This record gives sequence, structure tokens and C-alpha cells, in this order.
Amino acid sequence: MSQGFRAPSSFALSAVSAFWHRFSDMVQYNFKKITKVPTGKDFVDIVLSRTQRQTPTVVHKGYAINRIRQFYMRKVKFTQTNFHEKLSTIIEEFPRLDDIHPFYGDLLHVLYNKDHYKLALGQINTARNLIGKIAKDYVKLLKYGDSLYRCKALKVAALGRMCTVTKRIGPSLAYLDQIRQHMARLPSIDPNTRTILICGYPNVGKSSFINKITRADVDVQPYAFTTKSLFVGHTDYKYLRYQVIDTPGILDRPFEDRNIIEMCSITALAHLRAAVLFFLDISGSCGYTIAQQSALFHSIKSLFMNKPLIIVCNKTDLQSLEGISEDDKKLVEEMKSEAMKTLIGQGGEPREGAEVLLTMSTLTEEGVIAVKNAACERLLDQRVEIKMKSKKINDCLNRFHVAVPKPRDQKERPPCIPQAVLEAKAKEAEKEKKRLERDLEEENGGAGVYSASLKKHYLLANDEWKEDNMPEILDGHNVYDFVDPDILQRLEELEKEEGLLQEQEDDEVDMDVEDLTPQQQKELAEIRKKKSLLIREHRIKKSTAESRPTVPRKFDKDKKFTSERMGRQLSSLGLDPSKAMERVRSKSRGRKRERSTDHGGDDMNVDDDGSNKKMRVRLLSRSGSRSRSRPPTDVVVPGEGFKDSAQKVKAFKLGKKSVQKRNKDARKGEGDRVIPTLKPKHLFSGKRSNGKTTRR
Amino acid sequence: MPQGDYIELHRKRNGYRLDHFERKRKKEAREVHKRSQVAQTALGIKGKMFAKKRYAEKALMKKTLAMHEESSSRRKVDDDVHEGAVPAYLLDRDATTRAKVLSNTVKQKRKEKAGKWDVPLPKVRPVAEDEMFKVIRTGKRKTKQWKRMITKVTFVGQGFTRKPPKYERFIRPSGLRFTKAHVTHPELKCTFNLEMIGVKKNPNGPMYTSLGVVTKGTIIEVNVSELGLVTPAGKVVWGKYAQVTNNPENDGCINAVLLV
Repeated sequence: MSQGFRAPSSFALSAVSAFWHRFSDMVQYNFKKITKVPTGKDFVDIVLSRTQRQTPTVVHKGYAINRIRQFYMRKVKFTQTNFHEKLSTIIEEFPRLDDIHPFYGDLLHVLYNKDHYKLALGQINTARNLIGKIAKDYVKLLKYGDSLYRCKALKVAALGRMCTVTKRIGPSLAYLDQIRQHMARLPSIDPNTRTILICGYPNVGKSSFINKITRADVDVQPYAFTTKSLFVGHTDYKYLRYQVIDTPGILDRPFEDRNIIEMCSITALAHLRAAVLFFLDISGSCGYTIAQQSALFHSIKSLFMNKPLIIVCNKTDLQSLEGISEDDKKLVEEMKSEAMKTLIGQGGEPREGAEVLLTMSTLTEEGVIAVKNAACERLLDQRVEIKMKSKKINDCLNRFHVAVPKPRDQKERPPCIPQAVLEAKAKEAEKEKKRLERDLEEENGGAGVYSASLKKHYLLANDEWKEDNMPEILDGHNVYDFVDPDILQRLEELEKEEGLLQEQEDDEVDMDVEDLTPQQQKELAEIRKKKSLLIREHRIKKSTAESRPTVPRKFDKDKKFTSERMGRQLSSLGLDPSKAMERVRSKSRGRKRERSTDHGGDDMNVDDDGSNKKMRVRLLSRSGSRSRSRPPTDVVVPGEGFKDSAQKVKAFKLGKKSVQKRNKDARKGEGDRVIPTLKPKHLFSGKRSNGKTTRR
Repeated sequence: MPQGDYIELHRKRNGYRLDHFERKRKKEAREVHKRSQVAQTALGIKGKMFAKKRYAEKALMKKTLAMHEESSSRRKVDDDVHEGAVPAYLLDRDATTRAKVLSNTVKQKRKEKAGKWDVPLPKVRPVAEDEMFKVIRTGKRKTKQWKRMITKVTFVGQGFTRKPPKYERFIRPSGLRFTKAHVTHPELKCTFNLEMIGVKKNPNGPMYTSLGVVTKGTIIEVNVSELGLVTPAGKVVWGKYAQVTNNPENDGCINAVLLV
């Protein structure tokens, strides 16, 4: 494990799992995509009608013999190709029991018998080969056909033989079609994802449990073996999806005597890496005693190896766990100790046994969520542990980065909870039930008798006004038109405004009382106008100062607003302009480089040379304003998600390449520049009739 | 009920539609009219195939109907007349039968003299030479026409080597050489794929027999060790004659009937 990796929180754990889910083997076991297998007769009909439609149909006795031969050979070949194609699709689409996940391999073996299945597919394969041979032989014979009748007879014989072969495999085709229909209806169980498996005796409440925590609508009936096949439901826990598999009940029998239904559950137990919930009916209402159930547990406990196991005691509403007899308690303790063994084997610290033995009742729904959470939690822990130990994590480790803010100082900053909230939380336990209106209603005679007083909670200045009737019309006006909750506030505001206006008028009146000559009055008006203009200007400037440069270039043609001018103005105000000028300069783009003077004939500019060069160098270094805070391209910053600098460089390159415009006109590109001959003879050889060949 | 059986599950929980049975009955009643329309409007190869299928169905239907109509009531029964039973007024006359027997023996003797053997196909269509041979032109200017290619199926033995190609007059193409024949046992009525040993006699002439040409009616010898036949003396029979019953060059295979 790398150094920077700390113990992850549960959220990080679930993030890891979700991340892995994307990259895990996502082969969807979707047997619904298998094409329908036609019956023997239909097969023949399909292929022959295809041949009849898609090959030329007209041939005459008078044609050249080669043409006649070709005509019939084409038909034979075409038919063979069609048969081959259709038989090949069948063979390829049916899953090979050795290539799929062992869970599905075993399940299909239990349901359909592996040998029959393989035999049927083998027959189809031989049929395909036979048809190929027939076609080859008859095409060879057709080459010797010297008359239309003979060629036609050979073609008829070839097609007939192919159809006979197909009719012979008719029963296999029918069998395969039945299998296909059944396989398409199997529940889609993903063997690699998080799974919770529910097992136990028949009628203990497994299907009710899955109905409670998922949306799977499994039949729940009082008779045993209601569930006859595997059922899947999905549930969520900590933002992750879990699939819950309900199995048919298992009876305590020796392995050989088990029927197909029980074998389904045994297969699921054996092959799926899942959390196992073993259901125990402590009330005995399923018809089996705790002793029998415990015996079953011990007989299949070998299947619980390496799986998080939780023993769930169901139907506690009929019989609680404390109330059972001593012997039964002992059996339950035995089972618990077995389950604890798996817990320790997992590597977890031996926590209290509460994690392994849980009680619940699906009827009253108490403890159901706790069971689900416990199972999900244990499964998640186990899966994350395994993944941490595996090698795959090293590939993805570079993508994880737990960002922790750097502490600014040593000051502790714990979360701040207001005192009131703490007190309220403390009081919550002793909070008594609030007296609701409903209770009041019930006390005073029920729904029709008691009418609640809606004015009870009015907030008024004087409590005695609560029961008063409010008038609706007053002085010919509608009272409600004049009702306004903020009316007092509004009144205040109005009065304030009026007061201000009054003051203004008074001020103005003061000014007018003075005797002003008309010229002075004119001047006064002008001054006022200019002032208001300045104020308006200032307001506009203020609003746009942050978003745009104050003086756009098009208004500053004379280039008055230079950084030197700013520097001069600032220094005249008494401030240090150097920092401001630096900032301004770094944002501006560099000037175009002047044509380099010919050093050969430049003796006159000896004095200025040095200063010019320096200025030029300074300008160039400032140009192309680079943000100084970005590190160079190959330094890997931990939060970016790159494994090493090489990967980062490659990622940048790919990014740049993707922006390149595509050469859709097929013009000559950079890869097409090739010089076929570096020294073409006609350019490097030959005499001249007149003149020299110093250059060509 | 498995989890994927949505239709049955819905039916179990919610029952059928209110008009389900009515609609089903009516749809089935309409099938008859649909079928007749298809039969009348289907043209071409489709029509022929449909007609053939329909004819077979109808024949079967008629048979089953007739079977159902057989009543168990008693009826007057006509007993079959015994073979050779003679009415009472003819009991004395048996001269004609003896004459018949005599004429039959004479006929058989004549047949034997003529060489007509008791084979399944006593007469076959004669095959003309131009049908049997194809003239091959050879030589630098393709003027020589003395070579012939056999256009029928031939049998060459296992140790067969061609004459040097320059001197070979009759060319037996290897694509038309067959070694196995499908031989039917006339009593057991089952067919076996047996290896051929040789061509015994070709009815078209001794030349074809010597060339090994197999046409319809040819007597061939086949290896029947597979069948496990034993002579009364206790010896194992391993070769038997069979007569070819089809045109091998048209069918691509040799079908023969065993001569027991």
C-alpha cells in the first residue's frame, strides 16, 4: 500500500466498490438473446424457399452446358451455405457450459442435464459437417453433367440428401428450442456482484423477507415449496446495489436424494460468493423443529466457507428468542459459535455475537432493516478487504486522492453546535407526546359534535380580541381591501419621506430667498447641471470598472493612457507605482519584434546597441504572459489522477491530437510528404552543350 | 412459478380479461375463413406446397372420421371366398389346372434357355454408345479422335492403375468412380451401405462389363460380411450379387437390390 493512503472512511469504501464495479467483468448473462431454433420441417422449408427466391430460376435446354452446370452448382452451394450458416448460429449462440461462470454451468446442468445438452449440440455439429460433404461431392459430380436433365437430377439428389440430414436432427432441434425458452426465463443473476443469499428450511419466511426489502413479488403461501426456483431482487445500501437471491427451501437429506429444486439452491450456495442469511424459524410453525433445522445447518455448513454468515431467527412475533426451551437454546448457541468461526476466519476482530445472530419478524417488520444492514455491511467489508489485498488496486491507486486541507495553524476548530440544539437533543428522549387537535376532538364528542375553534392561535396585541367578529364592510368600503399586515411600517416610511421632502423644499427656499443676480442664477444652474453630469458619469464608471478596462483602446487613439502616465500620476499622489506597473505590464501582450538590423553595417549604433538589446530581451521575456503559478507539464500533482509523468505527457499529447482538424478533403498531409528518390538521376547527371554544371 | 413468467403471474393474480373467452372463441372461429382465403390466393410454389400439405391433412381427417363412424352394430358379413374354392357344380373338373401347371413348366424351361434370369429388373433400356462415351480430341491440332471418356459411373478395383495416358483409350474419370453401393435386402426391407467387389455383368454388352461401367440393371458383387450371413454348411458368406436399380450418374449414388 502506498504511503499516502490512509484508512478510508465508509464513503470512500463504497466509492471504491462502485469504481470497481465499472471495471469488473461485465458479461451480462443474458440468455434472452438466443435466436429461435426452428423445427426440422420448418428448417428445411426456410432454407429451400430461400434458395428458390435468391437464386436465378430460369434455365433452358439450349443453353451452353457450362452455363447449365453453373446454374445448378450455384443452387447446391447456396443451399449448403444457408444450412451451414443457420446451424452455426445455433451452435454458437447456445452457451458452452465450460466457458461460462461455474454457477451458471452448474445451474444449467441441474436443470437440463449437461450430457443431453452436449449431445444435442454435437448432433447439430455433425449434421453441419455432413451437409458440407454432400455439397462438395455433388458439386464434383455436376462437373460431369452433360445434359440439363442430368444436372437437374443431381441437384435434386443433393438437396434431398441435405434435407434428409436435417430432418433426422429434428428431435434435437425441438429439445434445444425448449431449453432456449426455459433459459430465457431464468432470473438474471450476476455472479460477480454483491449478493445476499437466503437459505433455510421451507416455509421459514425467506420469501416474505425478500418481499419486504426488495420489490420482488415472490409468492408467499402457507404450503411448503412455494418457491420452486431462484428469485432475484435488488436492494440498496450506502449508494450501492445489492442483489438478494431467494432460494427454494432445502430439506435435510443426503446429497444424492436431492431433487432438482433443492439442487438449484445448493448450486447457488456453492458457487456464489455471497453473504448467507440462514433463516431459522424459532416458533416451529413451518412444521419443522429447531432440532431439524439445526441438523440441516450442520449438514450444509461446509458450503458456508469464506462467506459472511448471519443466522436470522424469524417469526419472533409468535415466539421470542428468550422463550425457547433449553435444548433449543443450546442448539442455537452451537450454530452461533459456528457462525462466529467464519467471522474470525474472515480476519475481523471478534465482535459481540449480536452481529452473527439476529432476530426479526417479517409480519411486524421489526428487525428487518437491521438484518439487511448487517448483511450488507459484512459483505461490503469482506469484498473491500479482498480487493485491497489483490494486485488490481495498484492500477487504480493513482486515481484516488484524498484531499485534506492543510491546517493553517495549530488552532482546533471543532464543529459548532448551538447550545439550544444540544439541549433539545438531550430532551428528546423525555419529550411527551404533544396534545393534538385530534385528541381534543375525540375528547369532546367526536367528529360531528365538536367543532374546533380556529381563532385559538391568533397573535393579537390584546388576547381578548381573539373571539371578536371582524366587520366586512365599513363606511361603504370593503375592509379587506385595506387590510395590510405591514401597515404601520408603511406609515413610518411615508412619514420619513415626507419629512425629507419638506427639508429639501426648505433648503431650496433658503437659496431662493438670497438675492441672486440673473447671471449668478445662470451660473448656479450650470454648476448644478455639471455636478449632476459628473455624478452620473461617476456612477457609470463605477459599474463597469471591474468588468472592462476603463478606457477601451478605440477611444484612446492618441495613446494617452500609458502605464508611464499612470506611474507618474500615482507618484504625484505620493504612492509607489512600481507594483501596479508590474501588474499592468504582465497583463499586456508584447510588442511585435522589430526587424533585426544587419550587424554588418551598424557601427553607428554602438552606443544604443546594448540598451536596445536589453530592452528587447526584457520585452521578449515578458511577452506571452504566462501564469507563473502553473507547474511544468511533466510534474505530476497528486490530485490530477495520473500514474506517472509519462502518462501525463501522453495524455496531453492525445488531447492536442484530438483537436486537430480532420483531413476530410484527402489533401496531402504531413504523412504524405515523401521524397521518392533523394538523388534523381536526371537532376544530378548529364552534360551541358554549352556552359558549366556547377549548379543545376 | 418462476420469476420470469409474467403472463401466468398476472393471470394468477388478476384473472383473465372479462371478454377473454369470448374473443378466443371468435378468433378460433375466424381461422377457418382465413385458411380458406390463404388456400385460394396463394400462388406459385407456395400455393403448391400449401395444397399438398392441405391434401395430406384432409386425407387424414377423412380416415379418422371414417374410423369414428364405424359402428359396433351387427351387420351382414361377407366371408372371403377361399382360394381355389369351387362351386358345387364344378367340383369334378380339374383338368384345366393340370394343364396350367404343364404350360408353366414349359414356359420356365424356355426362359432358362433364353438366358432370362430371375432378377428384379429383367429388362432395361439400352444405352447407346454416344450416350456412354464422349469423344476426346487429342493431338497437337486436336484432330485425333480415338480417345473416349466414359460419362457413366464406373467401378475400378482397388489395385487399379491406369495405362500410360498416351495409350489410354477409355478414360474413366476419378470423379465418377464409386466404391460403395446402397444395397437393399428384399425381405428385410432395410438398406445397407456395402462395399463393391466388382461388376459381374452389364446388360448393355461385354465391353461395358470389362470396362466396369455401372448402369441401371448391372449385376454387381458386394461385400456382405457386415450382414453376417452363414451358409447351411457353416461357412461365412462374404460376397453376394445385387442388381442396380437406379441411374447412378443422375443420382450420385448406386442403389441396388440384393439377389437372394
